[in-house]
Amino acid sequence: MKIAVMSCIHSNYEALDAVLRDIDRAKAEKIFCLGDLVGYGPEPHAVVEMIRSLDIPTVQGCWDEDIVEGLNSCECSYPSVLAEHRGRFAHEWTKEQIYPDTIEFLAELPKTMMYENLAFVHGSPHSQHEYLLPELDGFIALERVLSTGADTLFCGHTHVPYVRSLDAGQLNIRVTGTKENQDSTFTAPLKRIVNAGSVGEPRHGRPNATYVIYDTDTEEVTMREVEYDYQKTCAAIIEKGLPKIFAWRLAKGMEYAERADDASHLCERGV
Amino acid sequence: MSNWAILSGIEANLEAYEAVLTDIKRQTPQVTDLYILGDLISATKDSEKVIDRICHPKLGEPIPQVCKGWWEEQCLILHGFGETDEPTELIQKYGIATAKELWDNIPKSTVEWIYNLHFAFMELDCLLVHGSSISVSEELSPQTSPLQLFDRVSRAGANRLFCGRSGQTFRYHIKDGSVCSTVTSLDKTAPSQTFETTERVIIGVGNVGHIPHQATYALYSPNSDMLQFKTVRYGSGKGFQ
Repeated sequence: MKIAVMSCIHSNYEALDAVLRDIDRAKAEKIFCLGDLVGYGPEPHAVVEMIRSLDIPTVQGCWDEDIVEGLNSCECSYPSVLAEHRGRFAHEWTKEQIYPDTIEFLAELPKTMMYENLAFVHGSPHSQHEYLLPELDGFIALERVLSTGADTLFCGHTHVPYVRSLDAGQLNIRVTGTKENQDSTFTAPLKRIVNAGSVGEPRHGRPNATYVIYDTDTEEVTMREVEYDYQKTCAAIIEKGLPKIFAWRLAKGMEYAERADDASHLCERGV
Repeated sequence: MSNWAILSGIEANLEAYEAVLTDIKRQTPQVTDLYILGDLISATKDSEKVIDRICHPKLGEPIPQVCKGWWEEQCLILHGFGETDEPTELIQKYGIATAKELWDNIPKSTVEWIYNLHFAFMELDCLLVHGSSISVSEELSPQTSPLQLFDRVSRAGANRLFCGRSGQTFRYHIKDGSVCSTVTSLDKTAPSQTFETTERVIIGVGNVGHIPHQATYALYSPNSDMLQFKTVRYGSGKGFQ
């Protein structure tokens, strides 16, 4: 069975519509969404309504959580003061746009979902705010997958899709000071992290929407890149008075000024 | 040369704490630093006596460096200063009567003192903490997943992690290890990369006051990396170590 996994739609209805059409063409039988339905983009309500109407199983993203709980991020969420000001403005704007029952829907989203041997989270199993970047230390990455009990961990949050295989993991251990001192070797079977990229705010260098298709029979992952009329979204961002830089970076498919300085930083919030 | 005594879980047992202090004074080389990794108090009124003793070390005794434990966190939660609003964990574990006892037996002036305690100490390459680098409630022990232990040391940027939540004495030495990682992005598959660990050690420092007449704690020399666990018998069950 083919399943589609998408993340980080960020109020971009045009991109979501294009991705849903592509999923339909690819004949995926099930769709999972890894959160961040809202934030940055011009159509938060329309995006949430589409996800709800299609009854797509969805986990809560960091933006969804912040809309519900109020901004409470640790300083690692924003790489600069300017970026923080823009983020706060977008947060307030989004909150004004959406209805109380939409907030209720976002509040009730789970932080983790399991389906067979697959786990679905927004950032990491420990926090919606933690980035599982492809260069993250291999042992830490392996711990994140093992903590879910799954073989494959699907995440988003970085906005750049990737597939990471973690193989032949082992640790040699000696325990002393207890009644039974012992030497042992811990081994981990092959585990994978699949980052679904971003539907509505890509950062892989092109403006196209990204998501992944996973075949549960062959365990094959296909990263999909979908062209759509991103300029329509860019125009709506400007028209609705959101920061123009959001339109600019959507058109470039890059974060530039708002890229995290420390790629290895592990957010401590919410863990 | 510094020599550390590291203990945890006095749990309002002043007699046990006094016995450990006496044992510490007997050590050669002399203990230069005393770390208390939380759980000084419990729900009983004897908690005040223990805090008073900790705050007033006798002449020649090392000044205790104290961080927050599970009981202190529960006390702060009751008074609205904790990480969560509800004392759910306390009630689930000990019941509402104990929550009331904790509220009644810890005066507000002591709550303020507890509020100012550190979460952990980072000394040299050692993290000293009650539970783990992420929570006072997390119990690390030899039964914990090896990768979880590795993560808790690594995320603090430490090589050694001393903890007391489990009450056990143990030295868990991650000697070495490796994992092979291959990343495929939209545009390319990067060559496989092998991550290798440097050694990490997680140390359980025992518990002073929970088991009557038997206290355990740890002595550590950061210069030589020598670790020794001590068992102190006191009161009616007293005998040789």
